Amino acid sequence: MNLIEATDLRKTYRLSRRSSIEALLGVDVSIKAGEMVAIMGPSGSGKSTLMHLLGLLHSPDIDGGPKPTLMIDGVDATTLSDRDRTQIRARSMGFVFQSFNLVPTLTAAENVALAAEYAGTSRGAARTAAREALASVGLADRAGHRPMELSGGEQQRVAIARALVNDPKLILGDEPTGNLDSARAREVLGVLRRINRERGHTVLLVTHDPEVGAACDRVIRMRDGRVIADEAMMAMTAVAA
Amino acid sequence: MRLLRELSRRKLRTTLTILGITIGIWALVVFSSLANKINSFISTGGDLYAGKIIVTDGEPFGTSPITLSAAEDIARLDGVAAVDPQVLVPWEVDGTGGGFGIQKLVVGSVPGADKGLGYQLELATGRALTAQDTGDVVVLGSDLAREFGVVAGGRVQIHGRAFGVIGTYLPTLAAPDTDAKVPLATAQEMYRLLLPPLFADAVVAADIANQFIVYPEAGQDADAIAVTIEATVANSVALSGAQFDEVIGGPTLIFNAIIIGVALISLVVGGLSVINTMAMSVTERTREIGIKRAIGGSRRRIVRELVTEAGLIGLIGGLLGVALGAVVVVLANDLGRSSGTVLFDLTPGTAAFAVAFGTILGMIAGIVPAWGAARLDPVAALRYE
Repeated sequence: MNLIEATDLRKTYRLSRRSSIEALLGVDVSIKAGEMVAIMGPSGSGKSTLMHLLGLLHSPDIDGGPKPTLMIDGVDATTLSDRDRTQIRARSMGFVFQSFNLVPTLTAAENVALAAEYAGTSRGAARTAAREALASVGLADRAGHRPMELSGGEQQRVAIARALVNDPKLILGDEPTGNLDSARAREVLGVLRRINRERGHTVLLVTHDPEVGAACDRVIRMRDGRVIADEAMMAMTAVAA
Repeated sequence: MRLLRELSRRKLRTTLTILGITIGIWALVVFSSLANKINSFISTGGDLYAGKIIVTDGEPFGTSPITLSAAEDIARLDGVAAVDPQVLVPWEVDGTGGGFGIQKLVVGSVPGADKGLGYQLELATGRALTAQDTGDVVVLGSDLAREFGVVAGGRVQIHGRAFGVIGTYLPTLAAPDTDAKVPLATAQEMYRLLLPPLFADAVVAADIANQFIVYPEAGQDADAIAVTIEATVANSVALSGAQFDEVIGGPTLIFNAIIIGVALISLVVGGLSVINTMAMSVTERTREIGIKRAIGGSRRRIVRELVTEAGLIGLIGGLLGVALGAVVVVLANDLGRSSGTVLFDLTPGTAAFAVAFGTILGMIAGIVPAWGAARLDPVAALRYE
């Protein structure tokens, strides 16, 4: 079954009254549950925009072409209110960003617990869940540290723990290895690969990094707001199998 | 705890904002305390006259002045509970009260004639007059006691005679502060001696009375009794308490207006500084708000976090303001106590109101920046540097 089923996704960003950017010109994409997929392409190809739409951070254009569809886990998300989209993000999605994006005043454990609280978990349960999530990325001993006191690789693993804490169906990564040296990048990629295999989370990564693409089951290539190729990475799938 | 950590991120700015609210609340507390005291003085003033009928001569120097015998006529009227005959004599022999405002008066009366219905003044020193007191003894109002620097046991010169001071009263901020209470017979004699010699010989001191305080029975219409008195006692003018209340209401309104004014100023100043602080911290935290929104923090929750933070600033400012106000009130009252002017009354209600005011002010001021933060586009906020 497909976790994500989207057709005719278009997105125009208005920069001023006169000028606008057509970031997505009509994209169809479907992602199976349990897949690990990379979206690759040069800057300005629309890959981040696509991820923002699939992550319900933005809504696709409704006018100016065929009516888009965006089914996420069987729910039509094209016309949901901000409140409903926020709730789906909280409960069914986990986000990992290029620049880690942890709340600087909170400890690692509090950062992770915050996401659990947003999903409706009580404070006490959120704390327990945060500790487990941190342990699953190998950071149990860093729970009390603030982001400033952690290395880049550690911060990104905290961010992955935060993405995992609500056991979401979908984990979205926007250049998750982009700010890391190759050793740390491989480490983070390994964690993502492992949670996808072991726990069955669907993982969707936007990346420049061919190594990340190679580690995924499938690569969707984009250029100028369109999908230009959609290829299964046979070698890695073989390894996985 | 998380909240305090947020506030301590920018210590100087938070401190200055809290200071702004502290000063506003401090002013509110001090002025409210002053108003509490003034209002209680004024209600004392109202109590002094409330429900009474004051009967005086229709013609102050008329040919047929009212006499003490009128007291019995009035006392016989229906609905009259007590009649307190008095003799009012100017403090100065030349008839002036000295200075502007309320005249200094020597008031002669019969202790207990009001049957306990009159306003009971509180003593600062010594004791009140009793029916057994005779001759040149006096209980002084607070202004007189202060002016002549005497307390019970001292002496004071009135009409060139040395009076023994047997007591002094606490301030009321009303007429009794400038009254000197003496036995009725003493005042009658003083009054007679002020009359022109020819006239004085014809007057029997014991008949003299120039004011009657009439206390109606409970539930009786003072205005109606006043009319009856004027009809019964020749050349008399009877005024009920209602007229006095109108005069007294004015200062209360002015003071309340001052309090509202101070509250408004502190609202504007304190509120603007909270808005400024919160707007700056929202800008500073744009990215963080983007993160929270992206990982599923609802708009309502973002607003709640920021409004709570602003409310905490207001609460801390309010508590500090009340504490500082309390220090000023206690010090000022200590300084004033020696001269008999205790001017501030910080009630628990005032303190609680001021703290609540600061907190709510902070929260309201936080709403606008918080709402702005909640409306941010999470993607744009995440890219914000």
